[in-house]
Amino acid sequence: MAVLNRMDWYDLARTTNWTPKYVTEDELFPPMLSGEFGLPLSAWEKYDEPYKQTYPEYVKVQREKDAGAYSVKAALERSRIFENADPGWKSVMKAHYGAIARGEYAAASAEARMMRFSKAPGMRNMATLGCMDEIRHGQMQLYFPHEHVSKDRQMDWAFKAYDTNEWAMIAARHFFDDIMMTRDAISVSIMLTFSFETGFTNMQFLGLAADAAEAGDHTFANLISSIQTDESRHAQIGGPALKVLIENGHKAEAQKRVDIAVWGAWKLFSVLTGPIMDYYTPLAHRKQSFKEFMEEWIVAQFERALTDMGLDLPWYWDIFLKDISQTHHGMHLGSYFWRPTLWWNPAAGVTPDERTWLEEKYPGWNDTWGQCWDVFIDNVVDGNMAMTYPETLPYVCNMCQLPILGTPGKGWNVKDYPLEYNGRLYHFGSEVDRWVFEQDPERYAGHLSIVDRFLAGMIQPMNLEGALAYMNLAPGEMGDDAHNYAWAEVYRALRETRKAG
Amino acid sequence: MALFPLTSNFEGDFVLQLVAVDTDNTMDEVAAAAAIHSVGRRVRARPGHILRVRQQGATEFLPRDLKVADAGLKPTETVEIIWQAA
Ligand SMILES: [Fe+2]
Ligand SMILES: [Fe+2]
Repeated sequence: MAVLNRMDWYDLARTTNWTPKYVTEDELFPPMLSGEFGLPLSAWEKYDEPYKQTYPEYVKVQREKDAGAYSVKAALERSRIFENADPGWKSVMKAHYGAIARGEYAAASAEARMMRFSKAPGMRNMATLGCMDEIRHGQMQLYFPHEHVSKDRQMDWAFKAYDTNEWAMIAARHFFDDIMMTRDAISVSIMLTFSFETGFTNMQFLGLAADAAEAGDHTFANLISSIQTDESRHAQIGGPALKVLIENGHKAEAQKRVDIAVWGAWKLFSVLTGPIMDYYTPLAHRKQSFKEFMEEWIVAQFERALTDMGLDLPWYWDIFLKDISQTHHGMHLGSYFWRPTLWWNPAAGVTPDERTWLEEKYPGWNDTWGQCWDVFIDNVVDGNMAMTYPETLPYVCNMCQLPILGTPGKGWNVKDYPLEYNGRLYHFGSEVDRWVFEQDPERYAGHLSIVDRFLAGMIQPMNLEGALAYMNLAPGEMGDDAHNYAWAEVYRALRETRKAG
Repeated sequence: MALFPLTSNFEGDFVLQLVAVDTDNTMDEVAAAAAIHSVGRRVRARPGHILRVRQQGATEFLPRDLKVADAGLKPTETVEIIWQAA
């Protein structure tokens, strides 16, 4: 008997809506979980997924992907790539695994919400596969780092980070809780898959795969390329949902969800990906600056995705375009200066050669961030290490949970964006972060930032030791300079020459 | 006297920082407390300058001997610490 072509039966087979007789439609699909857009089942049946895959096809392809990634790992296990890697590269791996691995499991539950509660049969099918994708990503990104745990305690943060109160994890959780753990199925499809995955994970995974290959870490390069092939499929879940919403007069709600998610994703990338690309990656291996990468992936490609969909650019686009050449420099300086609070060892990335590159990519760097680094470098050269560490907390934003910062030195433009709500004074890092809060204050008002917790006496004793214990950073885990300040030698030599001259 | 948290926005620095002061402190003492976390760490000292305090967005500095308790500041409010030629 001849087997039918997939396209001869796919649409019919996944048309799994029916008219409930024993319960109401709202009981079967509670609006809180299915989306409060007032659209009936029939409207969602027009959802047309661009990527049609059946379960047997999925299993076959995924099996091959797993076999590929795991066999590369097995083949290279004795290659000592990890032991011989540049310390900056190890930091990239640690930051990535800690911030991402357990988030993949969280994403699996978000996919599961679309799988069960979306009224669109096509979305339910795609999300079924998407949910299994995310379980795979969680498992791989916990299994792959595990071989390094015995060599380096910080690698344990691949598993541990998500359960801690480390500040960057509070920021990551706040964002992911907002866009995927506490939203209805349709909002998840817009905020997680369309906004975050189409816009940003492409960049994290493709950019890192290229960096990993450059660094000679083929295990990691294969792992994340393998993951990215899943992402680029299930990232397409949100597009058709946006189309349904827009066709049914809900553009404004759709747009707002995109605007909120894109901003949060940007802030998270400015602290995780920005420093990696422009500071941790050895100069010889840098392909593009973070700004150039953002311009290619977000400004050019995502902008087109938005307008093709019939959406507008987010209202804050001009602010965003300005910030992509500034924010991540501050995020790097901040995370580096407060380095004991990281689970990886940040690379400074400020040798004279690297500064020449920074100045070329970001004209004015030396007169702004460079001025702060000059003071820092003098302290290292003088052996005045106490002054290279902080003695207080940076003030963090009540939305993105990241330090409130701006451009220093000659371009000084640092500013707080405060808001009083129900008698409490909130602080935000930008007009956009404050706008997000104002869209739904009750949703966010109860959250305590790390600074709020400190002021409430939840962190004891009230000093750096207490803060590190609160963040679950054990000795041997807290971060310090990736190269043990060896990079400062060139400045010491420069000073000697100047003295001699 | 009581502990009073403020947020320091120090001229030339890149980040807001938490500074714990006392309601009895003067604005000069507030500026000195903020300077501990910026000057010599990421901002160079400016010889021949003193530090003045103003509320964010204000053009006038708060009087140097004004006490925190009398300045009308809210807990955690952001103050700008600005270099002024002596
Ligand atoms: Fe994933
Ligand atoms: Fe995903």
